[in-house]
Amino acid sequence: MGRIETTLRKIFDIPRKHFEPGGRLEKLAPLFEAIEDVVFFPAEATRHRPLVRDSLDLKRFMSMVLVALIPPLLFGIYNTGYHTRLASGMSTNLISTAGTGLMIVLPVIIVSYAVGLFWELVFAAVRKHSISEGFLVTGLLFPLTLPPTIPLWQVAVGITFGVVIGKEVFGGTGRNIFNPALTARAFIFFAYPAQMSGDAVWVAVRQNAAGAADAVTGATPLAVTTLQAPFNHIQEMLASKGYTLASLAIGNYPGTIGGTSAICAAIGALILIAAGIASYRIILGCIAGLLATGFLLNLLATPQAMPWFSVNPVYHLAAGGFAFGAAYMATDPVTAPGTDRAKWIYGFLIGALTVLIRVVNPAFPEGVMLAILFMNMFAPLLEYTEIRLRLKKRIPHV
Amino acid sequence: MNPKHSFPIKRLKIAGQPEHRIEAAPAPGEVAAMPERIPLLKARLRVDTGDRVKIGTPLYEDKENTDIVFASPAGGQVVDIRYGPRRVIREIVIQTEKAEEHEDFGAPPGAELSRTTRPRLVQILLNAGMWPLFRDIVYRSVADPAETPAAIWVAMDNLDPFHPPPEIYLSTPADLRQFKTGLHALNILCEHTHVCKSAKSADLDAEIENRVTHRVRGAYPAEDPGVVHFHNKTTTSENRGWFIRGQDVVLLGEFLETGSFPTRRIAAVSGADIESRYVSTRIGAPLHTLISGVIEPDKYRWVTGGLFRGYSGSIKSYLGLYETGLFLITESNKRELFGFMRPGTNKPTCSRTFLSIFNPKPLSMDADMHGAKRACVNCGNCTRVCPVNILPQFTYKCIRAGEIEEALSHGLLDCVECGLCSYVCPSKIELCHTFQETRHAYFRERI
Ligand code: SF4
Ligand code: SF4
Repeated sequence: MGRIETTLRKIFDIPRKHFEPGGRLEKLAPLFEAIEDVVFFPAEATRHRPLVRDSLDLKRFMSMVLVALIPPLLFGIYNTGYHTRLASGMSTNLISTAGTGLMIVLPVIIVSYAVGLFWELVFAAVRKHSISEGFLVTGLLFPLTLPPTIPLWQVAVGITFGVVIGKEVFGGTGRNIFNPALTARAFIFFAYPAQMSGDAVWVAVRQNAAGAADAVTGATPLAVTTLQAPFNHIQEMLASKGYTLASLAIGNYPGTIGGTSAICAAIGALILIAAGIASYRIILGCIAGLLATGFLLNLLATPQAMPWFSVNPVYHLAAGGFAFGAAYMATDPVTAPGTDRAKWIYGFLIGALTVLIRVVNPAFPEGVMLAILFMNMFAPLLEYTEIRLRLKKRIPHV
Repeated sequence: MNPKHSFPIKRLKIAGQPEHRIEAAPAPGEVAAMPERIPLLKARLRVDTGDRVKIGTPLYEDKENTDIVFASPAGGQVVDIRYGPRRVIREIVIQTEKAEEHEDFGAPPGAELSRTTRPRLVQILLNAGMWPLFRDIVYRSVADPAETPAAIWVAMDNLDPFHPPPEIYLSTPADLRQFKTGLHALNILCEHTHVCKSAKSADLDAEIENRVTHRVRGAYPAEDPGVVHFHNKTTTSENRGWFIRGQDVVLLGEFLETGSFPTRRIAAVSGADIESRYVSTRIGAPLHTLISGVIEPDKYRWVTGGLFRGYSGSIKSYLGLYETGLFLITESNKRELFGFMRPGTNKPTCSRTFLSIFNPKPLSMDADMHGAKRACVNCGNCTRVCPVNILPQFTYKCIRAGEIEEALSHGLLDCVECGLCSYVCPSKIELCHTFQETRHAYFRERI
């Protein structure tokens, strides 16, 4: 370890002078600093009270989110590979499936990170501040919400939109109103509906394989609704298409890279809650809102109503990207309200809106995405209201 | 009666708890008074280099209220007056004489105390330089003698790591007697005298236990007089109050019994590489006299007055008037390889992001930021720890936006400057420091 450390130290110390003020690469100083800080944790002495500070910093904070994203990421890689090979008529043993998945998913992630980092760097250089760790999360979150068939240029355009319009125009991390990853996702959704509207199954097909199918037909679970389902039989109908409650929860159906598995998202949510990074209030609020609204719609369901009125609310929990959105995106602290009661309401409304969007407008199968973006907009209001109420309870001075 | 909040800081187990014994520190050849350490004070010197002073001779006074004088903690010659930036008086150093003389303040009230009127008592305390022991509960500055406080809060414990608990500074019968005399005097100054004691500290004699009005549960800063006061006030008029530390009540009692300015102090001395214990010393003692054994002095921050509220110093510093704890901590100043990815089995934290949460051992703290400054991510950690229900992240934004009135309505004046918000902030924002500066600016504007 000592040798490696000395070598690494040298790698940073030799080019350092170019990045210092007046150096040739002065503009790239934020990049240099960001990379160095990742390798060598900054050591800065305290100057003000309190003279001791907690070991938790933003890097650690954000890397906990990355840790929590590992289950959906790994599952997503496998699932992508599996469905690609299946559709292409290739064998689906674990190693080659993972390999195929990796070949498809990795470029998407790399493009997302590279383009995202590029923009972060541009803004860091212009604004003369350090690169915020938030992009580590955005850069991985965004690809996981995409279908594996996405053209890489769209990934680049999407993350550009997310970082620049979703975050930097507001003044950078901490000032943004919308979750950048979701902004990017929504932009892609509306800008390139052909690839994204999501009523066709997303499977990356490998043309080079023997006996490959050149097109895949079928419908995602949430789009099954567009087919005429007889009243009160939507569950059977889903099942007949291969979407049982269990398969929805496990997520082994074609869909977005990381968003299909409710179970993986639940594991991630548990990690985030256990580490104290995500608010359990938001997550439970989302679930409560979803179940309550789903149940309410059940009561209103008649043969004339839309088919999803009558679905068991638990299906909503397992289907689509709800679990993923609730675990990783609704809980983004920057765009959620910062006060406790407001968090409950915020979560509840996200859950409720998700169901409403799904049921009433099947053209937007990923209701959770729009629900979160919509609530992002109201987070400051919820927060403000709670602060006002709290301030009323204070005993004023003077 | 108790603050309802249990602060997550209790998860923090800090190494360096002093052993339960009192050791006498060697008598120092010089002591110093430090006007710079008196919050909000604009000091004016009353002495010059070369002057001879007695114990109790006024060394400096409050420019804004010249009735408030600060007594010399030693008898001898003023050998040096050191200034800091903007000519703030940092240290007045006095070389002590073998036989120190005491300033004569007239016969002490002693047994006559019950017959002393409030104005008379205030006068006696002001004259003798005892007044600065009373502090304003809102601004934490020296109390205004012209004011009638709604209550006086006696803080018997100071859980900011580390300070002597009551059973240490009240270990002799004389201490106990003087403490009671001091309490008696407080009753004359204000009929509402609240005595706060940590539920964790050992029981004292029954008479004192009966005087305890508030038993506080929880870790630092649950015992802070400002915190207890905040959770007990019900009306605006109760906002005004004074507080005094338990050990200072003993000094008060000693003064009222003997008539001379008391100088003794019991201080907690802690650090990873030194013997952590309590020492009996005197006000203004040079810090090196508190340490036993050989150490490399420049390796450390000599922190006096607690890790959270204290001041940084070096081996050349002294124990300030209000300081009864010395903690030697290191500045890590070594950039750790892949620091943020380590499991962190021995990283002290209130969070749950390091494996140290499974480590039952107390962990040593250092004077490192443990991260770089970032924008606020609205994580709410600061709000969770604030003992007086402030929403630091929002209050901070008000201040940055210049909305001071708004910040005040958020409870800026309730802030006890405990430092927990800055401590837990993952973005390393100087919340507490900003609040303190804003409170001070507001104080100055107000008068
Ligand atoms: S605002 Fe910060 S320093 Fe002030 S009382 Fe709250 S936690 Fe302590
Ligand atoms: S702890 Fe720091 S980052 Fe978190 S909300 Fe408070 S100020 Fe913002």
